[in-house]
Amino acid sequence: MKNKLVSNALFYLLVLVIALMVLFPFLWMLSSSFKTQVDIIAWPPRLFFEPTLQNYIKVFEEQDFLKYFVNSTIVGGLAVGFSLLLGLPAAYTISRYTQKRLAVFILLARLMPGISFLMPWYIIFSRLGLMDSYTALVLSHMLIALPIVVWIMASYFNGIPTEMEESAMVDGATRQYAFLKIILPLSGPGIITATTLSFIFSWNNFMFSQVLSMEKTRTLPIAVYNFVSYAEVDWGGVMAAAVAIMTPAIIITMIFQKYVVKGLTMGAVKG
Amino acid sequence: MSKVVLKNVVKQFGSVKAVDTLSIEIQDQEFAVLVGSSGCGKTTALRMIAGLETATSGDIFIDDVRVNDLPPRDRDIAMVFQNYALYPHMNVRENMGFGLKIQKLSGSEINARVQEAADILGINELLDRKPKELSGGQRQRVAVGRAIVRKPKVFLFDEPLSNLDAKLRVAMRAEISKLHRRLGATIIYVTHDQVEAMTMADRIFIMSKGVLQQHGSPMEVYAQPANRFVAGFIGSPAMNFVEATLKAEDSDIFITGNGFCLKAPLAFQPALQAHLGRPVVFGIRPEDIALSDDTSTDPGNILTARADVVETLGSEIFIHLACGDDTLVARLPVPDRPVEVGQTLRLGLNLARSHVFDKDSSNTIV
Ligand SMILES: Nc1ncnc2c1ncn2[C@@H]1O[C@H](COP(=O)(O)OP(=O)(O)OP(=O)(O)O)[C@@H](O)[C@H]1O
Ligand SMILES: [Mg+2]
Repeated sequence: MKNKLVSNALFYLLVLVIALMVLFPFLWMLSSSFKTQVDIIAWPPRLFFEPTLQNYIKVFEEQDFLKYFVNSTIVGGLAVGFSLLLGLPAAYTISRYTQKRLAVFILLARLMPGISFLMPWYIIFSRLGLMDSYTALVLSHMLIALPIVVWIMASYFNGIPTEMEESAMVDGATRQYAFLKIILPLSGPGIITATTLSFIFSWNNFMFSQVLSMEKTRTLPIAVYNFVSYAEVDWGGVMAAAVAIMTPAIIITMIFQKYVVKGLTMGAVKG
Repeated sequence: MSKVVLKNVVKQFGSVKAVDTLSIEIQDQEFAVLVGSSGCGKTTALRMIAGLETATSGDIFIDDVRVNDLPPRDRDIAMVFQNYALYPHMNVRENMGFGLKIQKLSGSEINARVQEAADILGINELLDRKPKELSGGQRQRVAVGRAIVRKPKVFLFDEPLSNLDAKLRVAMRAEISKLHRRLGATIIYVTHDQVEAMTMADRIFIMSKGVLQQHGSPMEVYAQPANRFVAGFIGSPAMNFVEATLKAEDSDIFITGNGFCLKAPLAFQPALQAHLGRPVVFGIRPEDIALSDDTSTDPGNILTARADVVETLGSEIFIHLACGDDTLVARLPVPDRPVEVGQTLRLGLNLARSHVFDKDSSNTIV
């Protein structure tokens, strides 16, 4: 009984510590976004201050925030869409024909630092005249989305008994038809997980857009960078922009978190 | 006409030979049961017939057409899986109509066929439910229904009753037998339960470690097992096996062991002659052992043993016997005087129905 109390207390203490560590930067960012530049750089940091909306007004007035927002949505949406189109059949194949090597290869592409792709991409896309095009950006963001889709879905498909499509195939279906009519309809939670995660990773990506896009196709994270100039960093603007960018991602996560957790554990516990 | 023929079919998984040179012929309208212990390759054999697994070598024919290279959908077979494999996102009606829809039958035709199957199986009121809203027995019926609506050449069943409770299993056994007669279908049925095999089969195929041991009608494999494995596998409780040697004395042959000496029936003698002095295994079924008070019977078939455990089943009793170093089980009608544990019993053996196996090869001598 006493042991249980102690271990419970320890557990919550640990949760609190981790939560603080994770949340501290976020809270700091949130509070800073409502501070003036003076308050932000004040030492010691001010816990109580007079909140201002100035930073947010700046973000939405000085920056073409809507354009960035649309760009991020287009790039994220298309990258995730194409990744599902390619990744779902790929994941199915990896799962059913145990293509471990192929799966590891895809994971490697994901583990390589994205920056190592940037030079070749920069050269290729500029030769092709694709700089500042959605094509280049969508293709580059697929490097983020595709491995996520493939890995989440392959383990998800592993959790679906093979008898499902085998039964359909005996019933007269081709494997492709069985995949479309039996396997995919059963994969909702997995697909939602993969979509949510890969969209958010794409949404948050800064580097690819920074290098591959110019005026036309810039994505949201670049908006943050715009508050950094040679002379000074407008911390308030940076923080407000960051909050504005994170908000949709957080909303999406909160809506789908139930599915995401389910989807991530689905492959592990075979039902 | 729907005949299934396997010729020297082998299936190798890496170093494991799951099915080893299997040759069987299943006749039109036959109820064939593939039976064997877990891991003996039954499912693999069935899946090769279905086309879900490719044979490493050998030929598979359905109606004289070699189907090795045909995908499952072109083989005109239906399969009921052990876990039923109902499509969770479709209701019962859609589950059963799935194959018909692929065949592009009209909606009314599909409805009529689903209705017909539902009537046969008594699942009319379930048609609009999803699989997860069904009990195990109901799911099993739906899985069978999904198979019969298509009117295929051959039905394949993979342990369809193993997930049901004992009572339901007995009921479904009878129902599938009835269905077989009604449809006049060719059925290949896989199970590890010899009772299922015995009660349902026209012909039983007994496998062990990927190899076909024997095939024949239930009575044939029961009465004339080809080897010790079959003898031990068919029948419940299992046949008793006791190590013994054969000795000739005067003009008779005796089966002797640690605590017994039995006179082999005359009919056994020609076959036993060649094994004189060699180690053999004597086999007798529990039901061929009886209590014998009659001291006048030929003592050549009498065994004296101690009752170790007595199990009363109501209609009959099982007695676990200790005889020398050996243990045997006897299956008897409930005797007038109860049998006490520790009591020494005089048992008469029905030697005409006993068997002698070669100890090394395990093959049946008689
Ligand atoms: N896909 C596979 N890969 C490797 N080995 C396999 C595979 N499928 C089956 N085996 C092996 O082949 C042998 C036969 O398996 P199979 O499933 O046919 O047995 P079974 O007779 O149906 O057994 P059970 O009664 O347990 O279902 C087993 O040793 C099994 O481990
Ligand atoms: Mg099996």
